[in-house]
Amino acid sequence: MSFCLDTYLQQSDNYEIHASKAGFKDCAMIIRFKADDLVYIKPGDEVLGVRVIGIPPIPIGFDHEKGTVFLPYTKPCHGTSVVELPIDEEEVEKIRKLDTGKGK
Amino acid sequence: MKALVLLGCPETPSQTPMAVYVFNRLTKMGYDTTIAANPAAKKLVKISDPEDYYHLNLVDLERLLGEINPGDFDLLVGFVHKDAAASFFVTFDQILQTKSLALVFSRDADEVAEFVNMIEESGSNAIITAVRAFHNPSPIKVKFDKAIKEFE
Repeated sequence: MSFCLDTYLQQSDNYEIHASKAGFKDCAMIIRFKADDLVYIKPGDEVLGVRVIGIPPIPIGFDHEKGTVFLPYTKPCHGTSVVELPIDEEEVEKIRKLDTGKGK
Repeated sequence: MKALVLLGCPETPSQTPMAVYVFNRLTKMGYDTTIAANPAAKKLVKISDPEDYYHLNLVDLERLLGEINPGDFDLLVGFVHKDAAASFFVTFDQILQTKSLALVFSRDADEVAEFVNMIEESGSNAIITAVRAFHNPSPIKVKFDKAIKEFE
């Protein structure tokens, strides 16, 4: 069964929230600041089983030493959060294939 | 022809009556119209039509996001009154690649400008109509009536 971020966040506590109930731009800035490697994707691209919501170019960050990914997570009433969670190399490679190369 | 109406967080009082108004207008224009909203916003709209006079077609926003594909709808109309609503609108707009209209409103003029900028910066070709409004739906109705003529 493939990974699903929504289910993971409900059933695991192995993740960290770096910002919550924030604006998208603030969250994008936090991802750029915290990650040591970035790719930029389009709104609606699928990462970890969910379509990512936001304003392009959407940064997805990696901390390769910790083996984690930073991504924006948006809910209609709660704004955008930055979630950091473990990721395996196979998923990292899937995300790399989405890179638009439009980083700012 | 199919139209999708995106609702944002239901805490804005003017959203619910405007959702019914927009649904009715688009239906009369010949669109098979769907309203996508989170559970609370859906309930507010559903309970506004107890006799099912309008035959409102309501679906879950996040479930729809996981299912839609380019070309599934011929027109997108989005209520944009929060940062998250701007993000959702831009995301649906980019996936659908269709004609779109953003109804931007807030009680705060700076927020109105900010949400307009977010949509413009995304590279969207959406028609954007913006107004200061919160409790009173009339300014949004006036703006919508004018903007929707572009799609007639």
